[in-house]
Amino acid sequence: MQVIKLPSIYLSLLMALILQILPWSGWGLLVRPDFVLLTLIYWLLRAPQLCNIGTAWFIGIIIDIATGGLFGQNALAYAFSAFFAVIYQRRLALFNIWQQAAYVFALLILTQATLLVLKLFAGGNSPGWIYFLPCVTGILLWQLVIFSRIGIDGQTGKN
Amino acid sequence: MRRAIHPQQTQAFFVRGPSPFSRLVLFAALSLTLMATDSRLHYLTEIRQGFIALLHPLQMIANAPFNAYQSTQEYFSTHNTLLKENTALKQQALFQSAELQRLKSLESENANLRNLLGAAEVVSQPAKLGEILHMGRDPFVHRIVVNLGAHHDIVAGQAVIDGAGVIGQVTRVYPFSSEVTLITDKDLAIPIQIERNNLRAIAFGHGRDTSIDLPYLPANVDIRKGDKLVTSGIDGIYPTGLAVAEVVSVSSNANSPFAHIVCKPVAGIENHRQVLLLGLQQPEVASGVAANTANIAKEAAAKAMASKATTQPKPVQPVKPTTPAKPLAPVNTPPSTSPLAKPNASH
Repeated sequence: MQVIKLPSIYLSLLMALILQILPWSGWGLLVRPDFVLLTLIYWLLRAPQLCNIGTAWFIGIIIDIATGGLFGQNALAYAFSAFFAVIYQRRLALFNIWQQAAYVFALLILTQATLLVLKLFAGGNSPGWIYFLPCVTGILLWQLVIFSRIGIDGQTGKN
Repeated sequence: MRRAIHPQQTQAFFVRGPSPFSRLVLFAALSLTLMATDSRLHYLTEIRQGFIALLHPLQMIANAPFNAYQSTQEYFSTHNTLLKENTALKQQALFQSAELQRLKSLESENANLRNLLGAAEVVSQPAKLGEILHMGRDPFVHRIVVNLGAHHDIVAGQAVIDGAGVIGQVTRVYPFSSEVTLITDKDLAIPIQIERNNLRAIAFGHGRDTSIDLPYLPANVDIRKGDKLVTSGIDGIYPTGLAVAEVVSVSSNANSPFAHIVCKPVAGIENHRQVLLLGLQQPEVASGVAANTANIAKEAAAKAMASKATTQPKPVQPVKPTTPAKPLAPVNTPPSTSPLAKPNASH
């Protein structure tokens, strides 16, 4: 198993950030998965000594700046998910694919729900169930990556 | 058992730094503080502007594929479509030039009338052509980002229009871009007038979908389906007479004293990439009126003095010239207060 280096983590997060701030519009924007969060969860489960709650918080702040939302809302939501990803990290690594996918899905829902609560506090109105669509597309993307084993641990076969 | 992820094992198996919970508490506290500072105290505007300037290259990279796609698409647009577009544009220009001539005569007539009344000239607002960089990142917030910013002398509060009507208002200005809140946003209110009967009201964005509400109007209000809403111009931000929306449905509910009026904005927010950012009206408008009335009063006084000096036995005259200033007096009070106060009172 190859050793993960810090630059590769930051590079992947940067790529995810660029994907996130592509000029999405219309349905694309509604179904856009949270690329940054997915990348974050992956690294949190894979290398928690390099990517932890602090990393999640900082990337959340960058997203807040890029999106022009309330300063710190994405940071808080990401920190929450990162916390729940990290405390069960060792157990999660022993789960099989489907159990992991369920847990990741729960994390995605948690992030969206946290953001929703913050938005409702800030005076927004409830957007309806369509708000949680990115979680579904997110988990589909996650499974796609896990199944195709793109660069996950340097080995492509099953174990 | 198949495992998806193989975590990297480290030497420090038990030493993992601060516990996740203490980290969470620290970062949650940090972000809560930031949120409170941002939403209540507005201290972070400059910091945000600085950071967004740093992120600008990243935004450019993200926008590059889309821009490249568009430019290639434009390059490969056929001769035929260009010709079609050209004839359509020519026709449109012809129609508009006819209307423009009418407008010019109307404008001069209006200027004459205003002169007669002694009212201040309506300042024409300079406009800047901007391009929509992207719709907001958040699909549930009705905002767009345009490519003009503080470097192009854009300030928050400017009205934004397109060829068909009002789109919204600049709410946040960054160095190279600015954020425009659309009229469909829940937090944006726009003073309007019904074109048919000049009834004034305030329109609010619906927030959920792309429609506009006219709340707090009595159930028997004279508004019909198909009525056009235009800006009333009393706010000093939007010029008078810009198209805003069209009434789609009017209904009244026995439970509520207010009519339920739904309107659809006329501006094609989704269709165009170019928008016009109108400059803010000078705040001198109100004071200009005041100065004008003062001048009239002065002139009248001078005339009166002169007439007094020349023809003694006519004490009626000095009273007379002061009357034209009278109907202008209410103009000095900010006109926006009365219609704006109405919806708040009925809350």
